[in-house]
Amino acid sequence: MKILMKSLSDIDIKVMLCKTAFEWELIAKKYSELRDEIEAFCASSGLPEDVSAALENTRAALVQKKGELPPLDLSDFFK
Amino acid sequence: MSLIRNITKAVRNEVRDYVLKMVENEKENSQNIKKPETETEAKKEETKPAAEPEIKKEEPKEAAKPAETAAEETVKETVPAKKEKREIISIIEPEFIRFSYKKAAGSITVSSETADLARQLPLEEYALYMKLYFLAAEQKKNYGYWSSSLKRKIGLDDLTAAEFNGIGENLAAYGLLLIERLNETQRTFVLYIPFDEETMVKLEAAKQPEKPKKKFEKPAPAAKKEVKKEAENTTQHEEDIPGKHVEGMEDDEMYKSYKTFVSLEIDKAKMRVGRANFDKIYMEAVKYIDKKYGFKVLSDSDKFKEYLTNYYISAFDIPTFENWKKTKG
Repeated sequence: MKILMKSLSDIDIKVMLCKTAFEWELIAKKYSELRDEIEAFCASSGLPEDVSAALENTRAALVQKKGELPPLDLSDFFK
Repeated sequence: MSLIRNITKAVRNEVRDYVLKMVENEKENSQNIKKPETETEAKKEETKPAAEPEIKKEEPKEAAKPAETAAEETVKETVPAKKEKREIISIIEPEFIRFSYKKAAGSITVSSETADLARQLPLEEYALYMKLYFLAAEQKKNYGYWSSSLKRKIGLDDLTAAEFNGIGENLAAYGLLLIERLNETQRTFVLYIPFDEETMVKLEAAKQPEKPKKKFEKPAPAAKKEVKKEAENTTQHEEDIPGKHVEGMEDDEMYKSYKTFVSLEIDKAKMRVGRANFDKIYMEAVKYIDKKYGFKVLSDSDKFKEYLTNYYISAFDIPTFENWKKTKG
């Protein structure tokens, strides 16, 4: 569990340093995978509150960071 | 004897005065020989035939004036003519279309039609037109912001804003440029370039230049009807909540042109609200999509683009596909 939480704090740091949408997507993917792992790990005993709060904080940081990055260019999307 | 002396003195004085007068007259005559040339030029410039006889009578008196003053007068007459604003007749009355180039410009070609139009322009307007033409090829679109950064980008940084705007307005008067005011500080331009289906894709017809009076006209009855229709369609609009996916239209040509329309409307909205506000709206969109559709949608690039587009449609009051289709008839 400690390893998983360490990975989560690594993601927190990476989110702070993230500067591009591409980087963000990689971090978001890692976060999703890590969340699944943690939930699987705690499936039997249930997700502890502090872990749940940490996951939510990271998620909030990711959302905040995505909003702070330059708006996504939609020009390719319309072609 | 004294009487004779006095007489001789008086005669000497008279003779001296006479000689001095003669010398002066000769000098004046020599100056008057040069003067008639400048006077004849001045006569040609004067276009009042009725007043000519009177002027001609007075001219001999004026002929006494030195030639320099006459030259100064001719200069004074020509200077105000330069300051007068020239009337510009448009070369062409085009329909301004916003378009994008299909491919990036490896080499820039100027069509004969464009060349025909451009060569009729005065030097400054020609330079601006060609610079914007090259910029359009570089940025793959014939429109953008009319700003000081544009001035800098096309290498006209030496010009003052007033000069740059003046040349732009002249180019607009020639019919080759459309400058639209978005708000007090922001303006956009659309450059007229003859449309070529092979290399360009139409985005949307820009608003055609209108007379200033029309700007303050009351909304037309048709527009009022549209407003009513929109009110009737509020229930339908509610269904177009941000992030709601439109399905089953991907293969439709109509839907493709709708996507182009939406793209352009988003671009316009971006320019209208300004960069800072658009960033805030984007931030709100991200939060909204995360809250409503979950983090998986947010982290999936394609899905996020889709939901973001729908958020913009709602936020910027862009007509929905159904409404847009109705207006197209």
